[in-house]
Amino acid sequence: MNNNTSNLQNAELFRFIDRDEIASEKITAPRYSYWRSVFRMFFKKKINIVMIILLVLLFLAAFLLPIFWPYDPYENVLDAKTYNLKPSEAITYFGSNGIKWCLGTGQLGNSIMYGIWSSARTSLLLAVTCAAINMTIGIIIGAVWGYSKRFDAVMLVIFNIVANVPDILLLSVLVYIIGSGFWPFVFALTITGWLGIAYFIRTQVMIIRDREYSLASRCLGTPINRVVSKNILPYLISVIVTLLATNLPGYINSEVFLSFIGIGLSASVPSLGRMIQQGQTAFLTYPWAFWPPVIIASILTILLYFLGQNLADASDPRTHM
Amino acid sequence: MRKYMLKRILFSIFSLLVVVMVVMLLVYTAIDRKVIFQTDDVWNKKSNNDRIIYEYTMYGKYGYMNYVDYTSFLKTKYEGIYGADYTTQKDYKTDKDAIQKEGWKENESVKEFMQTYYNKGYKLRYLEPIKYRSGKTKPGGTGYLIAIEEKSVVWRLVDYIKGFITAENKNMVQDPELTERYVRFEKDPYSGLFAIVGSGTQHKYLLYFDGRFPFIHQNWLHLNLGTSFTRYRGQEITTVISTPVSGELKTVKTQYPTKLGTDEYVETAINFHSLSYNTGTLSDVEKTQFPDKYTVYSYNRSGMSMLETSFVIGIFASMIAYGIGLPLGILNARKKDKLPDKLGNAYIIFIMSVPALAYIFMFAALGTTLFKLPYKFAVATVPILAFILPTLSLSLREIGGLMRWVRRYMIDQMNSDYVKFARSQGLSEHEIYSTHIAKNAMIPIVHGIPGTILGCLVGAIITETVYSVPGVGRLLTQAINTHDNGVIVAVTVFYTTLSILSQILGDLLMAKYDPRISLNADKGGGR
Repeated sequence: MNNNTSNLQNAELFRFIDRDEIASEKITAPRYSYWRSVFRMFFKKKINIVMIILLVLLFLAAFLLPIFWPYDPYENVLDAKTYNLKPSEAITYFGSNGIKWCLGTGQLGNSIMYGIWSSARTSLLLAVTCAAINMTIGIIIGAVWGYSKRFDAVMLVIFNIVANVPDILLLSVLVYIIGSGFWPFVFALTITGWLGIAYFIRTQVMIIRDREYSLASRCLGTPINRVVSKNILPYLISVIVTLLATNLPGYINSEVFLSFIGIGLSASVPSLGRMIQQGQTAFLTYPWAFWPPVIIASILTILLYFLGQNLADASDPRTHM
Repeated sequence: MRKYMLKRILFSIFSLLVVVMVVMLLVYTAIDRKVIFQTDDVWNKKSNNDRIIYEYTMYGKYGYMNYVDYTSFLKTKYEGIYGADYTTQKDYKTDKDAIQKEGWKENESVKEFMQTYYNKGYKLRYLEPIKYRSGKTKPGGTGYLIAIEEKSVVWRLVDYIKGFITAENKNMVQDPELTERYVRFEKDPYSGLFAIVGSGTQHKYLLYFDGRFPFIHQNWLHLNLGTSFTRYRGQEITTVISTPVSGELKTVKTQYPTKLGTDEYVETAINFHSLSYNTGTLSDVEKTQFPDKYTVYSYNRSGMSMLETSFVIGIFASMIAYGIGLPLGILNARKKDKLPDKLGNAYIIFIMSVPALAYIFMFAALGTTLFKLPYKFAVATVPILAFILPTLSLSLREIGGLMRWVRRYMIDQMNSDYVKFARSQGLSEHEIYSTHIAKNAMIPIVHGIPGTILGCLVGAIITETVYSVPGVGRLLTQAINTHDNGVIVAVTVFYTTLSILSQILGDLLMAKYDPRISLNADKGGGR
């Protein structure tokens, strides 16, 4: 009797359904794609979109404009009247081609306007190439360095020694030996440049290497290279992006700095550093030759740094909630 | 702890030695020597044998090799026999002309020269006279006989270490007249404090105090980091960076050592702390002025040395940076994502990403046009004003860097359990921030303090170049540009020692500040 009434009540409240074989195979958690959420986070901030558009425009300008506006620093070298002309004077002196002379002329009668775009191309190319080479070598070696204790002992000695040899000395010696063209300069910046990155990655890898999940994976017999590439490196993406954010503008800065102290790219390669170095001697008297390359370099480095930092923030999965 | 430090110091010395060797390899071996003649007009004008000899003399001067010429060998030989007018002697002339003729090997002096230097391990080289068909010598075609010794890197290093440090002891002066030999504490009549005074040592005052930076001085240990070959002809780099740049004598009212206690004062620039031993005989005047044979002195000079200038600028910049950067970093962390933090972040991004040149020049332009501050160091009418712009521009970056890290560390600490616990206990926000979070966040900052202070001795290349500050920052670049190999090695040793030292001191300070940190490998975590 009692049993009957409860049955009745249950029948009113619940209803039996058949086991669904297909539905039981499905995972009900929402689909999660790492990179999609990274970009969702990244584009949430409207300022990032503005900055990206600006950066793309600058890249396009730096790589396309020099094709139409070929820069020759010595085109007016024989005409001393063209040296250090104010923008207005330059336009009246040359008459035609207002855009070319709209920023005045440099100390050898060179067009500042054409110069900054050719130089920006060099700087961007240099930054991207050096960052690509150094980051690749640095990350690979750093990952092994952090994981293998025997390799660590050897590398630490090398690092302690190389890190103490002044960069300026090493660079200038290399410039003397292999010249100061674009590719030799890239070589000089990358021959020891990866070591700092590798050391940084090594420390990060060491922190993660002994975490439980990694240990468990090792107990299950995962080979080392798989542990490094699948367990550890993905965890480091935000660290790597942060590193990239400081490195990319860093190479533009080093080129400017090295040109300033006299061991930069050769005169035949137009570069922001050289333009700044030439303009700085009289930057109070001829400001138009000094500030344009400085401003271009500053905008480029700020954009790269800012976007890199924001991408790094977005690539940290803890912010995805 | 002691064992750990010993191990660490030994390892530091080892890596320092390897660094020196690498640098020596770089500057002496890796660079083609001929670059030193790239812009040399004298080299261009010389021809034939003269040019080769000129090259060898220059190589000798730049420290690439030991080089001896047959003529200078003859000079020492005959000067010993005939005295100053040896050039007019007949045997000197015949010996000198011998190498211009056929059969030069038969000459006795030539044989002697070759034998001596062959035994010393030198390489001998004979440059035949170059003549026209008529028998007249071509311009620059005189014959030469020379001996060259190439230094290998290892021997160069050994030589360098041998001369690196010399300590004075009481048996240094070889003079039978000297009776008392001692090293002891004495009251220093010039400073009023004590000093360590020696007799029999090269210098009289081995350790003393006076009113000049860094106030405590010593003549005990003599450090030879390296010698300049080109820019500061023949001077040791330690002297170059530590003697005042402007050479005006600074006179003060003082007394000669024998006149101490009397009221006989003199206006003189003599630095009585610099007295060193005179091995010759004393003049009568000197005998009345000095009680002993320590009569060789140097003068007090006004102005600052390169090292002082850089250090003053650096230390004030660091003080400003810590004074502004620390509180601002803490403020940014407390007001995270609010207006102060946003402004602070904008500043950090600007300073960290823009080339240092750009904002230093912006700053220079602002300072000179708005506040009429002197731009170039040398032309400043009021010398103290010249320090303002370099100091401030140097602090700009340090402020940014400190703000960035303080903020980062504070925010990392803010999410820790102990902060939540403190809050649940009812501590005020002010208490939590100032006593709990800030204290923990300061640990890595404390680690950097010794490095910041020692780093001031290295100088700042860009700032010093922009404002033409006579400091040590440009030493390395100048040395590289002038191929001053001795200075390059010296500066590298100086930098490396400072950086190693600041690491060790930073670790010690951090361990002192945070008792949880143990440097001893046996204790604590870490594996």
